Amino acid sequence: MVPGQYYLVLSAAVFCIGIFGLLTRKNALLFLMSVELMLNAANINLVAFSYYWGNVTGQTFGLFTMALAAAEVAVGIGIILVLYRNFDGVDVTKATTMRW
Amino acid sequence: MAGILEFAPAIVLLPFLSFLIALGAGRYMPKGGALAGIGATAGSFVLAVATFFAVSGGQTYNQTIYTWAEGLDAVNLTFGLLIDPLSAMMLVIVTLIAFLVHVFSLGYMNDEGETGLPRYYAALGLFSASMLGFVVSDNLLMAFMFFELVGLCSYLLIGFWFRQDGPPSAAKKAFLVTRFGDYFFLIGVVAVFATFGSAAFAGPDAFPVLAEEALHGEHSVNTFLGMGEEAWFTVVGLLVLGGVVGKSAQFPLHTWLPDAMEGPTPVSALIHAATMVAAGVYLVARMYGFYALTPTTLAIIALIGGFTALFAATMGVVKKEIKQVLAYSTISQYGYMMLGLGAGGYVAATFHLMTHAFFKALLFLGAGSVIIAMHHNENMWDMGGLKDKMPVTYYAFLSGSLALAGIVPFAGFWSKDEVLYETLIHGLGGSPILLAAYAMGLLAVFFTGFYTFRMVFLTFHGEPRTETARNPHGVRWNVKAPLAVLGVLAATAGFVNMVPVEKLLGIKGIDFLHQFLDGSFSSLNAHHYAEILPYSSSYIGGEATTVAIGAGVSLGLALAGAALAYVLYNVPEPVEHTEKLGSIKTVLYNNYYQDEYQVWIATSVVQPISRVLDKFDQGIVDGVVNGISSVSLFAGSRMKRIQTGVVSNYAALLTLGLTALLLGLGLIGGWFA
Repeated sequence: MVPGQYYLVLSAAVFCIGIFGLLTRKNALLFLMSVELMLNAANINLVAFSYYWGNVTGQTFGLFTMALAAAEVAVGIGIILVLYRNFDGVDVTKATTMRW
Repeated sequence: MAGILEFAPAIVLLPFLSFLIALGAGRYMPKGGALAGIGATAGSFVLAVATFFAVSGGQTYNQTIYTWAEGLDAVNLTFGLLIDPLSAMMLVIVTLIAFLVHVFSLGYMNDEGETGLPRYYAALGLFSASMLGFVVSDNLLMAFMFFELVGLCSYLLIGFWFRQDGPPSAAKKAFLVTRFGDYFFLIGVVAVFATFGSAAFAGPDAFPVLAEEALHGEHSVNTFLGMGEEAWFTVVGLLVLGGVVGKSAQFPLHTWLPDAMEGPTPVSALIHAATMVAAGVYLVARMYGFYALTPTTLAIIALIGGFTALFAATMGVVKKEIKQVLAYSTISQYGYMMLGLGAGGYVAATFHLMTHAFFKALLFLGAGSVIIAMHHNENMWDMGGLKDKMPVTYYAFLSGSLALAGIVPFAGFWSKDEVLYETLIHGLGGSPILLAAYAMGLLAVFFTGFYTFRMVFLTFHGEPRTETARNPHGVRWNVKAPLAVLGVLAATAGFVNMVPVEKLLGIKGIDFLHQFLDGSFSSLNAHHYAEILPYSSSYIGGEATTVAIGAGVSLGLALAGAALAYVLYNVPEPVEHTEKLGSIKTVLYNNYYQDEYQVWIATSVVQPISRVLDKFDQGIVDGVVNGISSVSLFAGSRMKRIQTGVVSNYAALLTLGLTALLLGLGLIGGWFA
């Protein structure tokens, strides 16, 4: 069987890829995808620990998180749509009206 | 009659109700709300009389009505009612005079076509209600609250004609001067709570009783500033006395009262006879069990009283306006009451409070009647010869004047004589201070007789000196009826307590007031006060001889004063004789420069101190507050620059923050060790 650390390393790797995407991209859609990656990194952790301790509660939480993520994507895409309409594009660095 | 005392709260609430009615619906009612006030005060009067008879029958009432703050350390702040002979007597006086003043106002305000009547009657109702609430208070804090309400109402009423220049200024002065005394009173109330843990006047934990026990070492109380019990009680007594001196217009806080004459005359009658000014003296009588324990306080009260009696009487001698003369006579007469209280004459002072209420209300209402007749000209030098034109007013006014001057057998004679008699015997018993106060009081009798009859002769006798005086405006029943009632009372009220007659002729049992005030609570009756007083009595010859000498001397002086006034002013064409006074005349006209020196204190002493304090407040206190605010503003103006609006920057900051947090936790947790 696969040792527990491997899952954690995988989770950390996925999380870092998400952060990297968040920090380097300008496209709002890519932003959303990066956030999804980070969310799934957390999900992997939940499932891995659940498996490790032999307790299904964590896996149930994983299912809930997926459902929430789906809902969140709907909201996120809605926001991107509005962004597109108001700023003629999906470049997040262009939408800077909420500043001091 | 059983249970009539259960209705005692209604005595206070009825005038309060009339206040609400006049305020809310006065403008829709005939007579501008007067009828509500008349009805309410009449109802209160009937209840007060019933209460009086119940109390005469030996009933008393001491009940807490409402606890509005539960104390953690057993100090409860409450409203309650205390009905004992003193408060029952005062209730009758206040309700009777309030009722008569309401009726008189019909003639003085309504018939003269004044505007703002609902406001007037509302304030009058609240005034009566506050005074009645003060009278029945069962603890010092409640008394203080109603004391302040009385002050507020006097402010409203003195400044009733607020469109003119004088009244608002006089109202402010009255409010501020009495408030100055009330500051001390407030501190005194707190001191009483801190010392005794209770401010009740009667009952098991009454503070006068606790104080008495403390002096006998049976009970321990908290004293402050490292003082012994008696010294501390003196301090507390003097603090409360501050409020008394302000309200009862005693020297040096008397200056507001002559100015208060700017108010409508019926209000002056109410203020001087029954409500505001009486409150101070009543308070001393109310907590007499406390004052009687400290000889120093008593001596100070007696001295203030005696001095004020003389001081005010001399100023009354030169005044030109009828109400001004009455104002100074009020100050002087309250001085007698203070003298009586300070000299251990509890019953005598209470008696004078009662008779004075009747004859002073009468004199003010009489003056009001004269003022109506003279088309609101108050200068006595423009009057003269009104005797034949307005006989009812004349005879009533004469009755009041004879009482004020202390001519036998009118009411004022009996009470003033008893005050002076008590002072004399206690002074002879080894208190030279009382003898000094007695001398001043005695001298004031002469001046009183003089200015009273100067006023009577100038107003009513001789030839009319102006056209208005030749054809005075008539007055109606609503002016004459109160005058008649009070005229009879001023002539006869003294018979309830004919101590000199009792002592001289040996007829027992005609000192009804003494017997009345001896009833009720053992810690609140005259007998108890006589026991705890620090005075002993001594007589010239025998008791009867002393009575005869005292009464003879004061009556002789009063008659001498009246006779001098008769010689000088009871001529067809009187002239001013003030020139004969020389330089004293200027001093008297300027009221001994009392106003000037108080203004001087305010501008030359208080103002510089205030300026220094203002500097401290503006510079240091405000400086700290402003400094903190400018630091925050500066930091904010720098910090806000990270709000760029670019989402990526926020994400970067978040990531950096997370990394820093992880690193920090790692360092603390020793991961890198």
